[in-house]
Amino acid sequence: MSKKSIVTDRSRRKFMQSAAVGATAAVIAPSFIMSPRMANAATLGNVHIEAAKKAKELATGRNITLKVLQPSGSLGNVKPVADQFTALTGVAVEYLEVPLGEITQKILLEAVAKSGAFDLALPATFGMPDLVESGILVNLDQYASKYEPEGFQDDALFSTGDYYKGSLYGYQTDGDTYVMFYNKDWLENSDENKKFADKNGYELKVPDTWEELDAMMAHFHRPDKGMYGGALFRTQYFLAWEWWVRFHAKGFFPLDDNLNPQINNAAGVEALEEMVAASKHLYPGARTNGLFENFEAFGAGDKFCNIGWGGTQKFLNSDKSSIKGRMAFGPTPGGIVDGKLLRTPYFNWGWNYVVSSVSAEPEIAYLLTLYACSPAMSTVAVRDPDGYFDPFRGAHYEDDAIIKTYSPEFLEVHKASMEGSIPDLYLKGQGEYFDELRTNLGAADAETKTAKQALDDTAKSWERITRRMGKRSQGVQWSFLKSIYPSSIRNRLK
Amino acid sequence: MNRIPFNIRLVLPAQLTIMAIVVVPTVILLWLAHTDWQPTQNIPWFDAEFYWFWNFYDLWYDERFINSVFRTLFVVATCIAVELFLALGLALLFLDEWPWRKVAVSIIILPMMIIPVDAANAFFMLFNERGPINHLITVITGEVFEFSWLSHPTWAMVPIMLAEIWQWTPLMFLLVLTGLMNLPENQIRAAVGLGASPARIFFRVMLPLLVPVISIAVVIRAIETFKIFDPVYILTRGQPGGATETISMYMYNGAFVYFRMGYIAAAALLVLFVVVSVCLVLAKPLRKHG
Repeated sequence: MSKKSIVTDRSRRKFMQSAAVGATAAVIAPSFIMSPRMANAATLGNVHIEAAKKAKELATGRNITLKVLQPSGSLGNVKPVADQFTALTGVAVEYLEVPLGEITQKILLEAVAKSGAFDLALPATFGMPDLVESGILVNLDQYASKYEPEGFQDDALFSTGDYYKGSLYGYQTDGDTYVMFYNKDWLENSDENKKFADKNGYELKVPDTWEELDAMMAHFHRPDKGMYGGALFRTQYFLAWEWWVRFHAKGFFPLDDNLNPQINNAAGVEALEEMVAASKHLYPGARTNGLFENFEAFGAGDKFCNIGWGGTQKFLNSDKSSIKGRMAFGPTPGGIVDGKLLRTPYFNWGWNYVVSSVSAEPEIAYLLTLYACSPAMSTVAVRDPDGYFDPFRGAHYEDDAIIKTYSPEFLEVHKASMEGSIPDLYLKGQGEYFDELRTNLGAADAETKTAKQALDDTAKSWERITRRMGKRSQGVQWSFLKSIYPSSIRNRLK
Repeated sequence: MNRIPFNIRLVLPAQLTIMAIVVVPTVILLWLAHTDWQPTQNIPWFDAEFYWFWNFYDLWYDERFINSVFRTLFVVATCIAVELFLALGLALLFLDEWPWRKVAVSIIILPMMIIPVDAANAFFMLFNERGPINHLITVITGEVFEFSWLSHPTWAMVPIMLAEIWQWTPLMFLLVLTGLMNLPENQIRAAVGLGASPARIFFRVMLPLLVPVISIAVVIRAIETFKIFDPVYILTRGQPGGATETISMYMYNGAFVYFRMGYIAAAALLVLFVVVSVCLVLAKPLRKHG
């Protein structure tokens, strides 16, 4: 029987213990762990070959074309893998690209239309709960027990988003944990170091806490000299993610056990006030620039720090960036809780391979999913310099091409962050919860609301959303979600 | 069948078709407005649980909805006022024949023919931190000006309204010009003969005669402006912090991002009520003119 790695430090026993904390979690959690796994010949090393063999068998004598709905820009990651699948199985693959931010909506539309427009899709991981609830995703437990080899999910450094209420609905294909980028030249400048140390009482370094980072951004922010404290996002789509880390680093879960919001407690307000204050030390485009503009902005080399993902590093470590080779990296800063440093790295994006419940060939679609996410083939996908899928399996961190693309220094930080990441708010209605949060954080950042007002308004909206979504059902998933926070973090959060 | 008059029989098929087109979606809208149906519930819309009037109750306390309605009314009032002022001025300028007049009219109405998304995108580029507007201010003042128009809670609405005014003043201009060209000349000649000043002729003779045309133009533009979406979506998406969220943006997010079909159907009904009320007020002068 395979141990599922929905917790990084998760032995099955530990997981069961934590799940037992909440009776509801205990009811749902073991359903996949205890599912009987049929004996199959696949191992981690040959799962892609076995999956292709089985798909070929199933497709024999038929002309099958699988349609993949994918976020724009990911063709470089998906196509090389799918081409090999086609070569091995004879199953053709067609690609349908939609804008990054709209893929969840497109899949939800299919839940209504049931047109069979696609067989597989790659939604953002945080959109999975809504997709599951809409009925558009195939529950993969039966296929996993048939084809998934021992240790397949254990090998993935973050697979929490693959599960909803205890069942498997997709496979992670992108290691999107938040990582910090620093201008190494500035960080190691002895004059700057002296000035900073004289004022703050400690030397420049990769910051451990948000307080230290904010102090460093303030120190380096000299717009009249063309120097800016940071390129952190302040556009609304990204805004909530930074606050989410700042808030968790103060030692709280966003909801209590009864699903009452905790985001508007004193820690939440303080985290927001600090974030708003830090906005003054960002470059002028921080509030309007999107993802790719952010890469370019930090790539110009006139900012102290940035926040981002592996995709950010792919750009910054390329010839398009003038800061290539002159960066230091760190996990997202933490906070001091009960006298000890608490870091809460955050897996906030990522993409999952999922199978459409309207697909005429769900089993073959699943096998393509398994094939694409296997250690060997996902290495091919992550390796592609034109795509944005980032390492998420142990093998990726040992691949020469991937090491060259990302740099060993970055991968070290990335791997550690992946292993200890907290999940996103994987609840039904995640988009609505976060939209309210984003809008109100945006209002606080624009100073049209105080931090307290903004978070109180968000909390009120969250209560309404929870009521609408069904408190009991949300409670089941929340208990489950809490139980799969990394234990080193979970045990310190209130 | 013989009891149905011949003329009714002739129009009945067309009337029934139109009724079906109008009535069916309206009934669906009314039904959805009284449910909390979402596609994410994995049940068909006709099986949704009846929700009574809870959507309307929630909307009453939904600060974002209320704010977006008032914000949209503000945009409508501002844009229409500016468009009307500009249109009147331009129409007076183009009332008389002068060389190249027809060419100039063609040029003036060009913005109206541009796809709204493209027009909005042009304003997005213009008002970017490093865009031509800030550059122009930098050149004029001699100091680096990097104001972030699109992320300022107060100023972000300005580029949006400018985009709308720039694109749709030509329509107002055409309507007003047509009205001016069709004014009865005898009344104006009489006023001239009696020695009235041009300003007096405009305000006391021409403007009152133009009221029906202006009313129609204002109602048409008010209905259109109330639906403002493209410039908001392209320039700010309703941000920062919802400061530029108009009713269409709010409903787009609710219906097509979060799929709250029932809730947004209720919002649509309320908005319809607001739009009809506003248009009735705006069209009031028409009633005086029969």
